[in-house]
Amino acid sequence: MRVKLTVNGELYERDVKDNKTLLRFLREDLGFLGPKEGCGAGECGACTVFMNGKTVNSCMVLAAEADGAEIETIEGESKDGMLSKLQQAFDRNHAVQCGFCTSGMIMSARELIRIHPKPTVEEIKEGLEGNFCRCTGYKQIIEAVLDATGQLEEKEGLHYAGK
Amino acid sequence: MLHEFTYGAPVTREDLFKLLDDHGSEAKILAGGTDLLVNIRNGIMKPAVVVDVKKIPRYRDISYSAQEGLVIRPAVTINDILRNHEIQENYPLLQECGHDLASYQIRNRATAIGNVVNASPCSDMAPALLCLGAQAIIASSHGMRTLPFSGFFTGVKKTVLQTGEILEAIAIPASARGAKGAYKKLKRINGHDLGIVGVAVSIKDDILRIAVSSAAPTPVVTPDLPADIPAEDAVAATMNIISPISDVRCSKEYREFMVGVFVRRLLAEVRK
Repeated sequence: MRVKLTVNGELYERDVKDNKTLLRFLREDLGFLGPKEGCGAGECGACTVFMNGKTVNSCMVLAAEADGAEIETIEGESKDGMLSKLQQAFDRNHAVQCGFCTSGMIMSARELIRIHPKPTVEEIKEGLEGNFCRCTGYKQIIEAVLDATGQLEEKEGLHYAGK
Repeated sequence: MLHEFTYGAPVTREDLFKLLDDHGSEAKILAGGTDLLVNIRNGIMKPAVVVDVKKIPRYRDISYSAQEGLVIRPAVTINDILRNHEIQENYPLLQECGHDLASYQIRNRATAIGNVVNASPCSDMAPALLCLGAQAIIASSHGMRTLPFSGFFTGVKKTVLQTGEILEAIAIPASARGAKGAYKKLKRINGHDLGIVGVAVSIKDDILRIAVSSAAPTPVVTPDLPADIPAEDAVAATMNIISPISDVRCSKEYREFMVGVFVRRLLAEVRK
């Protein structure tokens, strides 16, 4: 079927097979390689993108369902060659190792910060529970979100208070 | 996805029923897709037609009135339920169960109706619906029928829904407004996971109900119990309705033990 949608503000119109997922459509047809396919079953969150302002697992959405939708991916996160505040915080706190989970992790973190501008550690853990990281560790990722929201104690290295 | 199917997105009920009638058992209804698309991908389901019901405007509605109670339609997501103030005020148990369902971005897509139609023994929404005395409103081209959720599930992943039918609404009666309730779900990890067992309790008008998931072929609920029933009698009444198995997540004995623990803890909580 014919699908018309915007990705990071740009309009795209393509023919797509009815059984193609939004993730594969973004990657294979439009060339957005940021969202990744990890598990394909809604466990890992590597495919997380925004669809009409809400985070979704794009491996569990059909491209056909996204007709008319506004999609945002990690490719739209930096502006004018500058990393976003959130991306800079991930960089600064070593919250990236292999990077496979990072694009989805940043999408979920952005949604989390929209809902909780100053999230607690518990809120961060819950907001990111649908995103798995298998190498760098969640501690650095939690610290990155605390840092991005101005909550990281800068005294003795980078440690979040308590817990 | 290897399996090929045609996508249909009717915008009226009439078109929906026509698609369902034309394709019979070859058609599968798509709401949130968080179960269906995974099942298709894994080759468990091979529909010829996938019928998206989200474009039917009325299907996105949550309606509430103090006289009629609450009605939840097929495209209402779990996060829609969690954000709804009327549900928060009047049916908090629904939110408590919804909050334990999967992860944030899945709750943005997964629907309450999809969760019960999928009829997994570990459904998170079913315990709340059973406790609150919810009704299933089923529609097809032949008309409508209504039955209580206590009669909706017929086995593991099986319901009373016939080919051509859709669960068009979940209706929660006004009489359940303000029911005190709580839900506990045992999981292997603190993040999102399928339940090992889940127990919900509700108390309203001196009636206590206890519903359990993951401990029988379907989610189950006790008969109405007196609200002041001694805790051990409540545990015994719950043991009467469950028939757990041992599986990859835990043993039968552990499930029974934890159901007892949760019933005691939940009673202490809601009686505070």
